[in-house]
Amino acid sequence: MGYVAAKGGFDAIRAAEELVRTRQRESRSSWLELDQIIDRLGYAVDRVMGEGGLWDPELAARAFRQAEGDLIEATHLVRAHRSTLPRFGATRTVDADEIDVLRRIVPAFREPPGPQLLGRTLDYTGRLLDLTPEDQARNEAVMAVADGLTDTGTTEADEVADHDIDRATRVPGRLLDALRSMDAVVDRRRSDDPDPIDITRLPARPGSPRSARLSAMARAETGALVQLWYRNILGPDRHLHEVTLGEVRHGRLPVSVEHPLTGEPLTVGHVRVTEVEAIEDLDGVDEDRTRFDVGYGMTFGHNERKAIAMANLDIALARDDGSGPLEQSVLLTTDGLDASGFLEHLKLPHYVTFRSMMERKSALRSDRVRQARADRRPVAVSDCEVTDLSGVGA
Amino acid sequence: MNAPNEWALLVEGLGKVYGPGGAEAVPGTGPDFGRTVSPSTGAIVGCWDIDLEVVPGEALGVIGESGSGKSTVMRCIAGDQTATTGQARLRSVDDGATNLFDMEPSARRALRIDQLAVVYQDPSEGLDLGVSAGGNIADRLTAAGWRNFGQIRARAAELLARTEVPLDRMDDPVGTFSGGMRQRVQLAKALANRPSVLLLDEPTTGLDASVAAGVLDLIRDLLDETGVGAVVVSHDFNVIEMLTRRSVVMHHGRIVEQGLTDQLLEDPQHPYSQRLVGAARG
Amino acid sequence: MRLLELAIETSNETARPILDESSKREVRRAVLTAVAVPGYQVPFGSREMPVARGWGSGGLQITLAVIGDDDTVKVYDQGEDGGVNAANLRRLIRRSEEVETTTDARAATIIQTRHRVPEDELIEDQTLVLQVPVPEPLRGVERDMNELRRMHAEGDYAKMWVSLYEDIVRNGVITQTTGYPCLVNDRYVIATTPIPRWDVPRLHQAKFLSLFGAGREKRIYAIPPHTDVEPLTFTDVAFEVEAIASACRCGLIRPGGERAAYLVELPRQDGTSEWVCSDTDWCARQRVDAGLLDPTTLVETEVEL
Repeated sequence: MGYVAAKGGFDAIRAAEELVRTRQRESRSSWLELDQIIDRLGYAVDRVMGEGGLWDPELAARAFRQAEGDLIEATHLVRAHRSTLPRFGATRTVDADEIDVLRRIVPAFREPPGPQLLGRTLDYTGRLLDLTPEDQARNEAVMAVADGLTDTGTTEADEVADHDIDRATRVPGRLLDALRSMDAVVDRRRSDDPDPIDITRLPARPGSPRSARLSAMARAETGALVQLWYRNILGPDRHLHEVTLGEVRHGRLPVSVEHPLTGEPLTVGHVRVTEVEAIEDLDGVDEDRTRFDVGYGMTFGHNERKAIAMANLDIALARDDGSGPLEQSVLLTTDGLDASGFLEHLKLPHYVTFRSMMERKSALRSDRVRQARADRRPVAVSDCEVTDLSGVGA
Repeated sequence: MNAPNEWALLVEGLGKVYGPGGAEAVPGTGPDFGRTVSPSTGAIVGCWDIDLEVVPGEALGVIGESGSGKSTVMRCIAGDQTATTGQARLRSVDDGATNLFDMEPSARRALRIDQLAVVYQDPSEGLDLGVSAGGNIADRLTAAGWRNFGQIRARAAELLARTEVPLDRMDDPVGTFSGGMRQRVQLAKALANRPSVLLLDEPTTGLDASVAAGVLDLIRDLLDETGVGAVVVSHDFNVIEMLTRRSVVMHHGRIVEQGLTDQLLEDPQHPYSQRLVGAARG
Repeated sequence: MRLLELAIETSNETARPILDESSKREVRRAVLTAVAVPGYQVPFGSREMPVARGWGSGGLQITLAVIGDDDTVKVYDQGEDGGVNAANLRRLIRRSEEVETTTDARAATIIQTRHRVPEDELIEDQTLVLQVPVPEPLRGVERDMNELRRMHAEGDYAKMWVSLYEDIVRNGVITQTTGYPCLVNDRYVIATTPIPRWDVPRLHQAKFLSLFGAGREKRIYAIPPHTDVEPLTFTDVAFEVEAIASACRCGLIRPGGERAAYLVELPRQDGTSEWVCSDTDWCARQRVDAGLLDPTTLVETEVEL
């Protein structure tokens, strides 16, 4: 209870909210179904899951729809939802070698151990805007479904099954292992970071172990990582080399928990991930010039540009070892919600602070301060007692 | 020789190895072997077995070519680098009972406020070039607890006047100053809190001869006036001759000769010293 | 703790809280550390809130974490209870927790604020929760986080003093506006959110507890009751609060008058201005007390959810 109606602002935000709701509910176009978003706008859903740090295609699609296609906003919805949920356990650490690949390319070798599997990618789709008339395109899609050429009810599992490839192909060896057998890479494995740092519990800050950096990059905003990568390749910072890519994979990984009663591992589902290994040419004075080193990137969903940037930044961070500003840039400036939220907070009322700034401007113009500036003229020699400095050190 | 309780700075057995091995890297390096790279570990032995003693009001010279280890010695004493082994003591710290190398890094850094000052060859190491000359001195004074603006300004002006920096430049960023003027501001800043020991690392290298001569005159006067104990590191015999009474010659990370500076210049004993003096006097 | 036990322990949740109970415990632990070490910035695993980073997500987490059954909450922004951001935060808190709200600072046990300290003199048992956009007071003079940590650890604030020295040298006066750096308990320098300098003296030896939440930067710091808070100033250059040269249009608050308050400017197109108290509820109460305002016309209508 108080004397001032706190209702003005409340009414205003209610009205703004109503305008949002009206357009979302009363649009003349038909209702956008979640399965449509998951099927047809998969890259967007994957980005929301990756940057949101939460694997749940349906929730991500819901967020994407509610955010009207704004990826940062959708990520915000997913993460804020995550904050409402109790964390009652952690999954077992996933073994990336258990991946079921949907796509795997190894640019570093013509014929690497295991397959070169182009899989589903937009890379070679011709990149010409499809101008098929809407009616025709829709008809073709309907016909295709009728002919059973496509299964509109594609699920994650079906997608894997669609690839008519045997298990050995889908679970290929790892190029890094081959490079190790060839004694072509330095061994940087260490044992002091056994359990991944949960960056939602412990802020990832300079000095954090590698697992925290990798987690931070896995959740980072895609554009921010790409920009940071490019800035360090071409821009003034120059911390990065262009790497040669060892592995670029997109596939499914089983997720397991320890059974609460028996303690046995129990597979509870799968996540799709993009995984990248980036081979770095070591050329530092104190580095082993005769060998390579490898950076690592992994993120939820299919997002190769992010995973590549991440892998390249990972190896750059290892080589930099906290000596330069790169670590701080990666850990503190690449989170999409941090950057956007802080940018947009400038829209909040700032009239109390601005008043304080106006006051200093008038103070600077006042006679009092003008006089103070004049009085402070560089001290003339005659103004101060110039003694010799004897006794200094006594 | 001076009585042992007179020193202001005492260094014993200082060694610095860059790279693996520590003391094990040392055999096979030094003047006798003509190398600083350890044959066993590949580490670089920056300096080893260094003993120095400076009494109040005395300047000790450290001469050597670049790569001789003289700057390593200075940086280990200053705390800019971590010594591998040895001791350094200041009379003004626990009456010399504490080995500086055993101190916590924070306590070590605090010595730089008012016990142990450094003037670097590169002014950007000792100064914030974006800050005014007065502000650079205010940095040291406020670190020592000064909180009165007027007094800070008066002390800064006094120091700048003494180091012959025109006071109408006092409020200009040091980055706008000439090289010689920057060194004068560095000296003013270094002496701000009356340290007991001053380390000078090639203080006039890179300056024009006439400017360098002026700065050297100033340094000599300041050393006389303040009674500070100083270590002057230089490759330049003129600098050493002008500022120091005693000096040591370093070669491949070791002291190869020491003595009174003028005797050392007149009659060097070690072949390396002879070569060095010969080249300088040539 | 095994997974099953944890699941049972955390299953007793209320309807639609925006921060889960174990996260609240974590925030409370950080708050306790912050109170124990006044002015020290305690890192915490800041969660994403339904408001964006920079919009009070840190203050909101603290408020949600420290609310108890008997608390009454006031939320205001720029001194105004009726602003859009204050209204939104108040609504979120009421949706999440069963808690009473008020606009009267005297009646509130928890006051979440952005940019102001209430004009009312707060007392013991009141907690001020300040939303902090930039918790690092030294960022203006140093960007490297390792060096910043060292400076705080060693109490090495010389760079800050130099910046104040340079300010006076260049400008004849200290031009720092809001968020004035203060030394807390003679140990750590803090950023005073950005509250105006007007509010800074009221943090010194205050009876109330101040909690500062920076959600984006994931830090919490505190000023416990009866703690020294000294603005960094030279002994011979007085700390200046904002000069208030005009009168509030209410007519009661004027320069040299009995009561003083921080005023904000309402400019007109012709270059002249009107002035009003920034603390709107306080101003209205002054008018009621002076018989200038009929209280019944202004009683808050209960906000629906």
